[in-house]
Amino acid sequence: MMIHEGLANRILLWAITIAGLIVIYAPPLYLLAVSFNPALQPGLPSLSDLSLIWYAALPKEHALVGALQQSLIIATITAVLATGMSLLAALAYFELRAQRTAWFLTVILPMFVPGVIQGLALSAVFTRNGIKASSLTVIAGHLLWAMPFAFIVILTSFAAVRRSYLVAAADLGATRWRQFVDITLPLIRPGLVSAFIFSFLLSLNEFTRAFYLAGRQNTLPVVLFGKMNSGASPVIYAMSGAIFLASVACVALIAIRSLWPGAGKRSTR
Amino acid sequence: MTGPRLPISSVLMTPPLLAILAFGLAPLTIVVVWSFWSWDPLTYWIKPDLSLAGYAAILEAGRWTVIVSTLVKAFGTALLCLLIAYPTAYAVHFLAGRHLNIILLALITIPFFTSYLIRSFSWRLVLGRTGILNTWLRDLGIAQAPLDWLLFSNFAVVIGLVASYLPFATFPLLLSMRRVDPTFLAAAQDLGAGFWKSLTSILLPLTMSGIFAGFLFVFVMVVGSSTEVQMLGGAGASIVSVMINDVMRVANYPLAFAISTIVLVVIFGLVLIGNRIFGLASLFEDQSP
Amino acid sequence: MSKQNRPLLPRQHSNVQRRDFLKLMGAGGIALSAGGLSFASRLAAQDAASVAFWATATLDIGDKWQEFATQNGVTPEFTDNGNDLGPVIARLAAGNANDLFDIGGFQGGAEKELARQGVIIPWDVAKIPNYDSVWQWAKDIPYLKHDGKQYGIPAVVNADSIIYRPDKLGKIDSYGAIFDPKLKGRVAMEDAWINSAIFTAMYLKESENQPIADPGNLSESELGLVMEFLIKHKSDGQFRTFWNGWEQGVQLVADQEVDAMTGWEPIVYEGRKRGLQVEYAAPVEGYEGWGNNMVLLKGAGDRGVSDAAHTFVNGLLGGFYGCELGQARGYLVPTDNNVVYAKAHPEEYKPDDVEKLGEHVKAKFAGKVYWQNARPDNFQRYEEWWQKLRNA
Repeated sequence: MMIHEGLANRILLWAITIAGLIVIYAPPLYLLAVSFNPALQPGLPSLSDLSLIWYAALPKEHALVGALQQSLIIATITAVLATGMSLLAALAYFELRAQRTAWFLTVILPMFVPGVIQGLALSAVFTRNGIKASSLTVIAGHLLWAMPFAFIVILTSFAAVRRSYLVAAADLGATRWRQFVDITLPLIRPGLVSAFIFSFLLSLNEFTRAFYLAGRQNTLPVVLFGKMNSGASPVIYAMSGAIFLASVACVALIAIRSLWPGAGKRSTR
Repeated sequence: MTGPRLPISSVLMTPPLLAILAFGLAPLTIVVVWSFWSWDPLTYWIKPDLSLAGYAAILEAGRWTVIVSTLVKAFGTALLCLLIAYPTAYAVHFLAGRHLNIILLALITIPFFTSYLIRSFSWRLVLGRTGILNTWLRDLGIAQAPLDWLLFSNFAVVIGLVASYLPFATFPLLLSMRRVDPTFLAAAQDLGAGFWKSLTSILLPLTMSGIFAGFLFVFVMVVGSSTEVQMLGGAGASIVSVMINDVMRVANYPLAFAISTIVLVVIFGLVLIGNRIFGLASLFEDQSP
Repeated sequence: MSKQNRPLLPRQHSNVQRRDFLKLMGAGGIALSAGGLSFASRLAAQDAASVAFWATATLDIGDKWQEFATQNGVTPEFTDNGNDLGPVIARLAAGNANDLFDIGGFQGGAEKELARQGVIIPWDVAKIPNYDSVWQWAKDIPYLKHDGKQYGIPAVVNADSIIYRPDKLGKIDSYGAIFDPKLKGRVAMEDAWINSAIFTAMYLKESENQPIADPGNLSESELGLVMEFLIKHKSDGQFRTFWNGWEQGVQLVADQEVDAMTGWEPIVYEGRKRGLQVEYAAPVEGYEGWGNNMVLLKGAGDRGVSDAAHTFVNGLLGGFYGCELGQARGYLVPTDNNVVYAKAHPEEYKPDDVEKLGEHVKAKFAGKVYWQNARPDNFQRYEEWWQKLRNA
């Protein structure tokens, strides 16, 4: 790299990075270990005790599996809608001149409403208008929750779009639409992907809004919360471990895919 | 830009605006209106008698101190997360090679697929009297007896909060660093600036949007959180979301809505002030020469 | 579409098209079918005489509902309501709970409020023949009736006291242990004024002879007395923490964070299952009695499932449910039908165990018991004081 950070600074930077990673990883790794412990009391298993009994018991847990399915569906749809709408909102932001700040504040306002109040009030709105609770109502609540985050993430990624590129493209005869598709979109792609992942995760783990807006089928956080309050067998740790391993697999797949083909010029750095 | 046809900005705005009005503004209006209604002892619900009793009650029983302490926790956690996330983002973007870059990104994202409820609970198992941390400290001879303050204390809550929300700071920072051409930093160094000087005078201003976004995200998440405080805080530790739940449990809905309105107004006010000082709108604009 | 001013891979173009298409078609399609799925299953369920049971998770018997359905002709669909009365009542009053569920299983005390709001309707006891077998003192729980109508049917009752480790503390027979300065930082109470205030009031009334009339329903001055006492102990660092939920409770005892805490009896059974030495105290001051009662939601009446709901509740009192719940969690349904059922099906449930559980709970209730009430007269003052406790 061209920048000379100096060895001491480089070590410092990596040390902080690793410390951060340790702090984020301590819980899920600990839980992963716990999920292999056949004892009822959660704790680290000794090496001779490793067992898969809780994983084997997972498919029988209809409530958990059903809730997981529901959460995944809701999270996916929320992520798609939130990313799409936030992209539109971000584009509108850049088109506006005088009302830019007002629009920005309007879009991020829903972020500050406490979840329990948003959930209850939105469910009151739905009930008064005769809209039945279902996964759609949960999606509506989660959409409002995720959109401000996705919006800001996409806005941040627009930093890579230099005005000079667009001007150059216009000089070469590109229409607004072509400029968008050929220049802007590829440049903000990491932002769109980040926004999608953010929205997905925000929705997957969201509890309070989902509680008020869900229909008969609860989402995973709601069911997990219930199980923790009513006597959970360590199956919940196996569920947590399974999700962890599955997400490692997915992310690893995507990472490998982007690391190998297209080793030529892809994103701008 | 805007001819006789509809300005493109209006067309673009419509879908998100409709969503925000229907799912965001409508409930918000209900909340604010209901916060001025009174509790009806006959039905245990609310009746349309206008009153400020809900708001007045915030000043009683020290409820406003909970709001203040929540904001302080949020501020502190956001700052701490930024202090860890900024070097992380730098390392991932500037120091790591192409492959390590992607691996680190993946590493940062993965834990967020697991439920934060169970993650918070596991901190109890790690920090407790018989948890791993205490066991290691004993094995290493550093401590004779288990350290009580590791769990059920503000320390535990902060660790839990940082562990839960760190990537919310890392991602925006990473995204904003993408626009920084490393040649700027190299040029500054060629001109004689030390590493830290070039960092503060060039990198920091250019990544301001990421810093703002990261700070705001963590701040908002902490204000809305409840599990970390409930699982890791000491006896009866409180935070705004827990207080709202407490209040709703006794059917004091005007008070619950009043608290939410106040929290909303305060945070929004902070953002407005920040906008006045930092010109938030310009953060996301193209600042290339 | 000339390719020379395209600096990037052609793949991007199709990605964009695909993404837009997905957004419009796929998302809408999935959304509709996802919404439709729940709708369809609801309709199907209606035909099979099913009821939606919205209750505390500890009342769930999981896969055994199938067996229950076969025996009673009504299929219950269980949904956990989170047990926290606040969101539950809010969801009934302003939210969608009445559209979704038919029967609620809630902590006792809120029946009056829900009846006044018109979100629940009275039971017709004539349609619940098994109600006769319910023990009299369970029928006499004060808040079950309102305006002379039966709004709550008792489903689960128990009497709570203290969970403790005899290997550390020997035998405990008084709530004084919780407030004993020798145990500073090694005790806990539940983060719920509804229970913790009652336990403290019971202790103050019986062992310190404070002027308290009914620990379950404290007057303003009595409440002040009780809460000041708690605040003092909290500031002195008496409590390691306040716990909130089953798993948290078990974890505190199992991981030696506390040696004694007030709490629910199933935590003791769970602790023993996990190999810990835990006991449930029989304090001289008495127990805190509580009931989880069935209420009939108004939506059930509107949808015409009221009869199915009565059959369901009748089934709960029929014996099978009581045996299963007792075996799974150690909770008791207050009727003799449990023993009858166990004797008739000794290969499923040991009659001796069922009888022992029944006798155990009856014995507790024969002694001093003060009833928990989710809605004491000054309930809003309770919350205010609890907030002061939090801030102390």
